[in-house]
Amino acid sequence: MASSLIIGQYVPADSVVHRLDPRTKIMMIFTFVIIVFFANNAPSYLWLTVFSLGAATLTKIKPRFLLKGLKPVWFLIVFTFLLHLFVTREGDVLTTLLGFPVYTGALIQGFQISLRFFLLILVTSLLTLTTTPIEITDAIETLLHPLKKIKFPVHELALMMSISLRFIPTLMQETEKISKAQASRGVDFKTGPLKERIQAVVPLLVPLFVSAFKRAEELAMAMEARGYRGGEGRTRLRELAIVSRDYIAFCLFFIVIAGLFVLRG
Amino acid sequence: MKKGHTSQLTKLIILSLFGTISMVLLFLNFPLPFLPPYLKVDFGEVPTLLAALIFSPMAGVIVQLIKNLLYLALSGAADPVGVLANFIAGVTFVVPIAMIYHKYKGQKSLISGLVVGTIVMTIAMGVLNYYVLLPIYSVFMGFEQLTPSVLLSTIFVGVVPFNLIKGAIVSVLFVPLFIKLKPWIQQKQASIKLSA
Repeated sequence: MASSLIIGQYVPADSVVHRLDPRTKIMMIFTFVIIVFFANNAPSYLWLTVFSLGAATLTKIKPRFLLKGLKPVWFLIVFTFLLHLFVTREGDVLTTLLGFPVYTGALIQGFQISLRFFLLILVTSLLTLTTTPIEITDAIETLLHPLKKIKFPVHELALMMSISLRFIPTLMQETEKISKAQASRGVDFKTGPLKERIQAVVPLLVPLFVSAFKRAEELAMAMEARGYRGGEGRTRLRELAIVSRDYIAFCLFFIVIAGLFVLRG
Repeated sequence: MKKGHTSQLTKLIILSLFGTISMVLLFLNFPLPFLPPYLKVDFGEVPTLLAALIFSPMAGVIVQLIKNLLYLALSGAADPVGVLANFIAGVTFVVPIAMIYHKYKGQKSLISGLVVGTIVMTIAMGVLNYYVLLPIYSVFMGFEQLTPSVLLSTIFVGVVPFNLIKGAIVSVLFVPLFIKLKPWIQQKQASIKLSA
């Protein structure tokens, strides 16, 4: 579990989508989430499906991984479809299922809504599948940069995000170690009444918080010793740059949007 | 001035690490019986609450923000509405508690704060679900015509009991934790104030 948390859902591969600037990806996906609601007939849905599947293919990620990301929502997609099937009453009666009449309108609407759901989840998961959390943090920092004008501490927020991400595996291991240590002393996390089970977490949390404080003091000291003094004039290890492939991606995406508005009824 | 700078940075890092702990604790969640499975209780609010009591209500808000941003960066934007709901729930829970505690201090004010915080969170989430969250979900799912009675029954059957139980669970955990940590917290507060 610890290793899966370090990188989130990221699946490394050598593809165009992986190499795109994270800002490009975030902006395109954000726009996609909005425009998906504008699709309202078969051609427009088909157009968006072609785009989504095309983008998914370009990532060179095995379909197995893509489907794994969709696992928690399969149930919701099927549930939405069935709900529409039985509740919506439009069009002609097609057949009866389990004693309920099924209308053609319900079939179409249920299919469209489930497809919309599927596309939304697929495309948003492409971001975390092809971008490391640290890249996403960098992108958020630059995208939020204008907020500096209203005194929003963008740099500090990004620094805190990077530190948090860096320490997830460390603290994960520590939690595991402490819980094993406490279990060996007889703390029972799994059985007993609810109240006792909840309070069994206390001896786990106390050392965790104390050591977090100690780590913070040491890290602050180390950073100061290396001359850290806030965001002004700081250089970066990873520089983000918008290059030609990002412009091409924007152009293609614009064609997708334009096509959608031509096709929708 | 230089000294103050160091303690500012230490505080920043402490809040980040509390955000991380919050994230780690998120994976210790357990669904409650009788409630729909998408409403899950976790201990993610505990570090938020601790930060708010050690430093200020604002520190709690920052930890809550870090936790939710981390969750977004790690899991993707599959459910941004849920993340927003979690953020607002945490803030409405923690801020009243910290305000009451910082005003009166002492264990009694912590307990009355926990009660008030739970009530404020429950009311806020009920109102927010009625006007914003559930309508957004219904647009997602393609049910544009949710009647007020359906909304109200969903809120009173699902949202209100969930938030009450969540508040109660966090309180049951937090009171003994805070009593254990109190001497240590006072020492830390003193050392941070000294160097500031």
